Amino acid sequence: MTARQRRQAGNIMPREKGAAPLDLVIAVMAFLAAIALGASLVANRSAEGWRAGLAGRISVQVLPPDKGPPEPALSRETAAALAILQNADGIVHAAPLSQDETLKLVEPWLGQSALVADLPLPRMIDATIMPGARVDIPALTRKLKAAAPDSMLDDHSHWIARLKGLADTVIWSAYAILALIAVATAAIVSFATRASLQAHHEIVALLHQMGARSGFIARAFDRHYLLATLGAAAAGAGLAGALFLAAGGLEYVGVQPVSFLPPLTLHAMEVPWLAAVPLGAGAIAWVTARLSVLAALREIY
Amino acid sequence: MVRFENVGMRYGPGPEVLRDVTFVLEASSFTFLTGPSGAGKTTLLKLMFLAEPPSRGLITLFGHDLATSRRTAFPALRRRIGVVFQDFRLLDHLSAFENVALPLRLAGRREQDYRQDVEELLTWVGLGDRMAAPPPTLSGGEQQRVAIARAVVGRPDLLIADEPTGNVDPEIGQRLIRLFSELNRLGTTVLIATHDRGLIEKSRAKEMRLVDGRLVELRAQRP
Repeated sequence: MTARQRRQAGNIMPREKGAAPLDLVIAVMAFLAAIALGASLVANRSAEGWRAGLAGRISVQVLPPDKGPPEPALSRETAAALAILQNADGIVHAAPLSQDETLKLVEPWLGQSALVADLPLPRMIDATIMPGARVDIPALTRKLKAAAPDSMLDDHSHWIARLKGLADTVIWSAYAILALIAVATAAIVSFATRASLQAHHEIVALLHQMGARSGFIARAFDRHYLLATLGAAAAGAGLAGALFLAAGGLEYVGVQPVSFLPPLTLHAMEVPWLAAVPLGAGAIAWVTARLSVLAALREIY
Repeated sequence: MVRFENVGMRYGPGPEVLRDVTFVLEASSFTFLTGPSGAGKTTLLKLMFLAEPPSRGLITLFGHDLATSRRTAFPALRRRIGVVFQDFRLLDHLSAFENVALPLRLAGRREQDYRQDVEELLTWVGLGDRMAAPPPTLSGGEQQRVAIARAVVGRPDLLIADEPTGNVDPEIGQRLIRLFSELNRLGTTVLIATHDRGLIEKSRAKEMRLVDGRLVELRAQRP
């Protein structure tokens, strides 16, 4: 079929009347799909950020002794642990956190009260692993325990695994929602196409009778649903994109972000991904409408 | 051109509308199909223009046995047939011009190639000043002429018309019959179903008569 014949199929069907509810449903579905897709992008970016922030780092926590005053035992064990870390293979940098830095870490849970400063807080040592190097964590733990019995080594692998699991759950849930929306969109367009075929049954029968090929008749329908879906889905996805961008400006209107949650906003570079929603919806509508019409035409002699 | 052999037709579990119908339409022949209402004329035409499959028997069209032909070959066969439907079946959202041009569009021709032909034909059937009018604004007779122009515009190999002069005055009726005769002279096989005895008597064409689903009487084409 040539481009000319495609254009000729253009006005062969009358304009659809009363299609606004379908457009509205498609726009709402596209909005939800774009929210799900945006959530998966946020989760993916956050997981990557967490992984990049924690991978290649280890922390050593030296606890105050259970009995007696914390000092000088705490300082002695911290110095011993620091010396072991600084001399360990594969570790490029190790430094203890200052008292202020430690207080900042517990601030989300304990607040800024002066009383907190008097609490026997553990000492933290932050160490960086040389990129590509493998550190024998069990052996290092044994050495640290021998030199500083109250020390605890954390290579964050547990946290990374849990955060990755959380992000994966969000991402796969978003994909499942997208799949459900795709199926629902296909069902709606299929239903609408069948209804339209029913409404224009006499025209379809006449064209068929006059020797129009099935592809010619199908084109009159699939074109309509492709364009209508592209428009409605673009509106829905556009609104979702605007909301994601607006979420980045919430702090300017006084809404404080929650420190341990990723910001629920998309970067400007990520927003174009939402264009996949109308494109995908248009493709689904085009294929569904075409297959529905071809199937219906096969039932005619 | 068209061959029916022992063709029978029934709709669903109902009685046979056509029974053992056998005939041949030779190429370039002109034939009237007559018979009382309910005799099965419209059903016979439907079988001929591939709107329905027969319940039994063999139909051969343009040398193709329809029972063994692939369905994908049917659109091309249908495009070789021009049909004037009793109820016209015009597309209300298109103009008279666009309705007449429809077979040419379906054949893939460009508007600039067929515009003049369509305009001349519409002028010939007396609708030169109504080309842009949509069918609902036309009278019954005007709609019938649009339907006839649509059926003949592609110079089909076979023209089938169901009561084509039923809604027009005698003068226009004679003009339309002259159009069919001219088309027949150029090689189109013509079959017209009609009740109009006057039309038949003035013509030398062959007559086939259907009564109760049987082809009971044949009048050969007169010299």
